[in-house]
Amino acid sequence: MVAALKLVGVRKSFDGFVALDDAEFEARAGEVHALLGENGAGKSSLMNVAAGLYTPEAGRIFVNGEEVVLSGPRDATACRIGMVHQEFKLVRPFTVVENVLLANWRGRFAPGVREIERQIEKQAAELGFEIDPGSRIDELSIAERQRVEIIKVLLAGARILILDEPTAVLTDEEAVRLLTTVRALAAGGAAVVLVTHKLGEVTAFTDRVTVMRNGRAVALLDSRATDAAELTRLAVGTAVASPRRASSPPGEPRITVKSLQAARADGHVTVNDVSFYVRAGEIYGIAGVGGNGQTELVEALTGVRGPLAGSIEIEGAGNATGASPERLRDLGIACIPADRFGYGIAGGLSVVDNFCVGHINEGTYGSWLRTNGAAMREATAEAVGEFDVQGVRALRQRAALLSGGNAQKLIIAREFSRNPKVIVAHSPSRGLDVRACAAVHERLLKARAGGAAILLISDDLDEVLNLSDRIGVMTRGRIAAEFEAPADRQAVGRVMVHHA
Amino acid sequence: MLNNTVSAATSAQAPLVKRTGHGWRLGRLNLELRQHMSPWLQALILACALVVGLGISAALLIAAGVKPSALFDEFIVENFSDPENLHSILFQAAPLIFVGVSAALAFRVRFWNLGIEGQMIWGGIGATAVSFYDIGPAATRIPLMMLFAALAGMAWIIVPLWLRVRWRVNEIIVTLLLNYVAFNFLLHLLYGAWLDPKDNFPHSPQFRAFERLPELGFGVSSALVLALIFTALSGWLVMFTRFGFYTKFVHDNDRMALAVGVPIGLVTLVSALLSGALSALAGFVIAAAQEGRLTQSYFEGYGFSGILIAFLARNNPIAAMVVAILVAVLFVSGRSLQVFYQIPFAMVQLIQAIIVISVAASEFLMRHRVHWVR
Repeated sequence: MVAALKLVGVRKSFDGFVALDDAEFEARAGEVHALLGENGAGKSSLMNVAAGLYTPEAGRIFVNGEEVVLSGPRDATACRIGMVHQEFKLVRPFTVVENVLLANWRGRFAPGVREIERQIEKQAAELGFEIDPGSRIDELSIAERQRVEIIKVLLAGARILILDEPTAVLTDEEAVRLLTTVRALAAGGAAVVLVTHKLGEVTAFTDRVTVMRNGRAVALLDSRATDAAELTRLAVGTAVASPRRASSPPGEPRITVKSLQAARADGHVTVNDVSFYVRAGEIYGIAGVGGNGQTELVEALTGVRGPLAGSIEIEGAGNATGASPERLRDLGIACIPADRFGYGIAGGLSVVDNFCVGHINEGTYGSWLRTNGAAMREATAEAVGEFDVQGVRALRQRAALLSGGNAQKLIIAREFSRNPKVIVAHSPSRGLDVRACAAVHERLLKARAGGAAILLISDDLDEVLNLSDRIGVMTRGRIAAEFEAPADRQAVGRVMVHHA
Repeated sequence: MLNNTVSAATSAQAPLVKRTGHGWRLGRLNLELRQHMSPWLQALILACALVVGLGISAALLIAAGVKPSALFDEFIVENFSDPENLHSILFQAAPLIFVGVSAALAFRVRFWNLGIEGQMIWGGIGATAVSFYDIGPAATRIPLMMLFAALAGMAWIIVPLWLRVRWRVNEIIVTLLLNYVAFNFLLHLLYGAWLDPKDNFPHSPQFRAFERLPELGFGVSSALVLALIFTALSGWLVMFTRFGFYTKFVHDNDRMALAVGVPIGLVTLVSALLSGALSALAGFVIAAAQEGRLTQSYFEGYGFSGILIAFLARNNPIAAMVVAILVAVLFVSGRSLQVFYQIPFAMVQLIQAIIVISVAASEFLMRHRVHWVR
């Protein structure tokens, strides 16, 4: 059988870094083919080559057995290759139909908007969902936007469909729905490439799997004939043990939140009457589908946004409601934000700057009139070593060059080196690979053992279940239910979905 | 290490020759984000950009009627061999240094102060008020004029600052438009209450000797010394103090800065006020060193020059001083071109603009790696 898409000997480097080194890949029509690997293994790069976005330095591309040269996404579309990127390529203020028209490679607008609308509705119905072609992209949920992307590439004629980590932004339920749709597409004769680092998806929803590591394809397996352990070994190299939570009695409440109300920037109240407390030496997990007020809760707790009502009390400091971020940090609150490069790191500044900004006001790095650069570099070097931040070639290198995992480690180094009393961690392992994720969890547990009170807010239910001593489920801006560990996954999941 | 490349690298492509029906093509440019660049290569690219910018400027001047041989003469030989010219360059440099450092301080915290000229005018008014109303003894007259100038400049920048902090009104528009308000108020004073009774010209009465910034000998004015002192202080402020450290964060990522406890409100406030004060001192210098009275000579491209100087100096006060001196060369040469070749002074602004555009364009090459594929 001729492969629908075949890549041979692909090599691609970025400014000296080799991202792909002699990588191979093939996908057949009618199959869902998983492309598995850690972050940075080269999965997305390889697929960007197939989609005509990256020009490889070496290698050949075959579509249905015929060699092609892709000099841009347009050529890929002409070869009936379509890619749905992790960051959606949609124009937000435009409507669904306008976005589809924009991507129309044939450049024919003659059939008119009505005809395209009809086609969108027809395609959506075939895939088993509904979409209003007239709605603006920014009115749609993440899952809906993804559907628009899929329809967009299908209407452009794609028979080879590449989905880059499509489930990373979806809830469990939505993910299952998407993967079922994807199976139906393959059954209809399309070749579907599913880029992922979730092992469960590979074994449950795909036919074959290519495992990548360090820019090479290291294995091509039948998905049904393999298991999670083998895939982990192949993808990571060595098995990663997930950290264990030791049992220890919690102390006094460190932070007590009562009837907290907070609103988004547009005035919409998204945190409504939230009350909880977190004790010293415990992890209080807040589970819930993203967008149920978690971001605003974090902003209120860290002082970025003043709460509308309610109170925040911190042990030893009393009422800290509405205090500035500076003041709250002085009182011992540390934060790992969900949007790492938006709120955690100043990408254009050096690693040293990013580390030291967290405690420069304590006077450790010289007086306000004369900062001590040497002391700053020394402290940073020490922390980079202690917290195992890799990829730091020079301390003055820009922090934006760190990978997600290492940027997160740098944030943790900054926040934890102050021995905070309360840690607010929001989706701390989002987008991280197995190894980095384990490192982050280990740090949280270490801080817990050290007596910190940790609030863990995450859309990843497994993360919350594995780490937390107590779990609150947040839906529609409220804590809908609380569970003691060990909590029943099903029970927690039901609250998440049913109250939404 | 691989993570870096994948997350930070993007690729964009511009097909130079599209595939035609015959199937031939030249290839295309492949662009990639650079991870890192050696300072030497950066300097080389910057130098090339300057050469290109100066080349275009020279071509324009030649097209306007300046002989190629005279070009070298006017810009290099005349300026640096003749002590008279050197003197006027250093004299011209003082206000330009002030406005350059002023813009640099504001831009470091992304406060886009386009109201430099308005603040200069208020600086001039503040200083002249001290002279006009004869405030304080002669010995403290100059410091008092400086103080009043600085206060007036700060007061003038408070309006856009408050509008931005409180109501998120875009400071670009407010600062720019307030320039015209300031200028009209200046005219109101010069044609009205402060009209010189001696000659009835629209400028203020001449400052007394102790109200003027003295020459220090060797062709150096005390205005230049003042400018250098304020440059040094500003340089220290941004490079070595905690405040300067904070400004970097406000510039790079203010959301993050807020979250990690940087007092961004205070940092923005102080930077903007200092910017207003320094612009005002430029106005003071023009009145107290160049003109010896309050005149209308404020809308001569100082605002634009300040922005240009800060941009070319990457918002570093020390570098701003160096660039300001080069711009002063351009100003002085521009005036002599005006006299000898009847070339309008606007040519100076045109040359400034060309150099800014070429340097700005060179940043693209610093950020991206460009190479041919096939």
